[in-house]
Amino acid sequence: MPTESRYLLENKDSPVRWRERLVDELGLVADPAESYRLACCDSFDWRLNHAGRQLNWLQYPGYSLLRLVRLEDDTTEAELELGTVDTRFAAGLPASELRDIIEPLLDIRAFLPLVTLKIRSHCLRLEDDEGKTRTRLYVESISRLTEEGGAGVMIKRLRLQPLRGYEKSALAIGRKLEKKYHLQADAGSLCEQALAAAGRQPGDYSSKLNIQLQADMRADAAVRRVMLELYHTMQVNEQGTIEDLDSEFLHDFRVAVRRTRSALTELKGVFPPATHERFKREFAWLGSVTTTLRDLDVYLLKFNRYKAMLPQDLRDGLEPLRDLLRDKQHIEQTQHLAVQLQGARYRRLKQQWLRYLESPLAKRPVASDAARPIGEVARRRTWRMYKRVMREGRAITDESPAVELHELRKSCKKLRYLMEFFQCLYRPKAIRALIQELKQLQENLGDYQDLDVQIASIEHFAEEMKERGMYDDVTAQAMRALLAGLHTQMDDVRAHFHERFERFSLKETRSLFRELFRPEPASATR
Amino acid sequence: MITIASYNIKGGVGKTATAVNLSYLTACSGANALLWDLDPQGAASFYFRIKPHVKGGLRDLFRRKNRLQRAIKATDFRRLDLVPADFSYRNMDLKLEESRKPGAQLRKLVKPLRRQYRYLFLDCPPSISLTSENIFAAADVLLVPVIPTTLSLRTLEQLQEFCKKKKYRHLRIVPFLSMVDHRKKLHCDIVDQPPKSLKKMLTTSIPYASDVEQMGLKRAPLETYAHSSKAAQAYRDLWEELQGRLGS
Repeated sequence: MPTESRYLLENKDSPVRWRERLVDELGLVADPAESYRLACCDSFDWRLNHAGRQLNWLQYPGYSLLRLVRLEDDTTEAELELGTVDTRFAAGLPASELRDIIEPLLDIRAFLPLVTLKIRSHCLRLEDDEGKTRTRLYVESISRLTEEGGAGVMIKRLRLQPLRGYEKSALAIGRKLEKKYHLQADAGSLCEQALAAAGRQPGDYSSKLNIQLQADMRADAAVRRVMLELYHTMQVNEQGTIEDLDSEFLHDFRVAVRRTRSALTELKGVFPPATHERFKREFAWLGSVTTTLRDLDVYLLKFNRYKAMLPQDLRDGLEPLRDLLRDKQHIEQTQHLAVQLQGARYRRLKQQWLRYLESPLAKRPVASDAARPIGEVARRRTWRMYKRVMREGRAITDESPAVELHELRKSCKKLRYLMEFFQCLYRPKAIRALIQELKQLQENLGDYQDLDVQIASIEHFAEEMKERGMYDDVTAQAMRALLAGLHTQMDDVRAHFHERFERFSLKETRSLFRELFRPEPASATR
Repeated sequence: MITIASYNIKGGVGKTATAVNLSYLTACSGANALLWDLDPQGAASFYFRIKPHVKGGLRDLFRRKNRLQRAIKATDFRRLDLVPADFSYRNMDLKLEESRKPGAQLRKLVKPLRRQYRYLFLDCPPSISLTSENIFAAADVLLVPVIPTTLSLRTLEQLQEFCKKKKYRHLRIVPFLSMVDHRKKLHCDIVDQPPKSLKKMLTTSIPYASDVEQMGLKRAPLETYAHSSKAAQAYRDLWEELQGRLGS
């Protein structure tokens, strides 16, 4: 597909004046003006941008299409006419080259219009002596749409569109535009410009923590910085969670809440006791509000895998479970979570938390660790948690009940958060290697715990389906087969635990943990 | 990519009008379509106002890689491209004979277009020759406009026999009645009682209409200037029926 050229019109002349001038001076033919919209789409965490791509959703009168653009050379990689399709998910698009490219990139995340532009376009055509159009030149005025309506004209531009097989004609027009009107082809991205105007920047959101701290900072100041970052993550994911744009808004929101809770518990020596108690209680409440919905999201995300576990003839028998899950998910989303996140308790929590985080630091803090350097506090707390993980891990035998593995999982999570909050204080390569090791162990423990919860929930759902009359013979057989499959998986995961834990306990890993986190003898006793 | 050849041994039966109008309707329905004007007379190119010329002619087309890609021209309509006719196409039989596998050259040539277009329409010259054999090998569907007259039906039978003898198993021959003039008794008789050769024909027929002849003056697909005419409706029905046939 030939590439378009664009020229910014910086003088004061209106698009209509430009149209008249180009018709007169370049002998172009004018068509009636039309308006269309261009929405620059990506996932909230910029997955397409990270893969060097941009997805434009063009809405013309009568039809709309998705156009995937390669950022590197600004060329169209694939296009897809949308017709009546209305979806935010790549998986919901009709089979096409465009879907094949974006589906693995976006995975479970929705593509969302991050900024929408309204474009008034005057089409001018260069015709040959047969009356055939050889190239199109559009005079366009572009404004950004905001929630309040339009935001005034952002830019005016010419867009030169070569037609396949007639590229030379477009080149000739381009040369005339440069020579006669002193215009320069503009390589800047319209979407990037519009995003900047809307206060967004590619890559401005990531669920990964990256907090810059210095080891000699006061611990209370450092922890507040971590908490503010987590508060910000909650804030930016809040609307997407309320609107249920995709399951990852809630996931990231929950992770930020859990990290906050973990920091409140594990670094409690940094907070005044009364403050600590109050916020610990409130964040525990916020976490509990989101749990049911996240569980339902997980079952729905895993549903196709559940189906794949069954023999072919039983797979359709599982569909009533999907219906039940969707039903419950919708009710939980609209009637509970969205209500709570728009309610007074949550609003108060946010206000008070932010007020606390932004308040000046106490000169003589009551909290024992508040005025100590964060380097020392972080090392001590992380070392303590590491020792707990090792103790709990070593105590687990083949006969240990599930609850002990669950406890170990929670300790691992706390350790991971402590390592991630303060990762900038350690040697990057070493801390990354340790996080990686811990992650492997966490995966095993996480899978085990998830399967344990899933089995209990699915047994519960089966009862509920019986009550609702959604449980015929095929469904009963499918549910039994699913439970059997999950039990087998669980045994499998459990069988691998010791191997994983042994790996985590290797001498090299232990000495690296010691090197990074074991406190100096003086502070170790605290 | 589905390749549909608008073909008849006989000339003047509405092959070009069929190829032009159906390819236009295909593009309107949202699919990328390419029309290759294989007739050296260049009528399809004329209808789309594209000069009937391919750089390097037939010689380069068969010799140089990507030459066909570079010969593609955008029409004035979205998603519809055209490979123009060239006067050198009149020597296509000779050119094909020179090659090693003379019967499969066209198929080889269009193979790289598979990912770009959902439909390839071939507007074929009237004759039965080596070029036609290439078309039969490259096409999935042979769409045959038949005027309800004795001579036209005879050529259809000849075609059916030829394809049977040569065993083009992948090829679906789909005839339909074209230029039907209800004022003529013979036309009406054939429409009412179609002969055996028309057993698999599409039920939609295209009427004889001056609107279709106007395509030469307007130099555009019928749909663009006579959307409400009976003939335009007939082409829409024909496309819908053919799509149904392709889907089945």
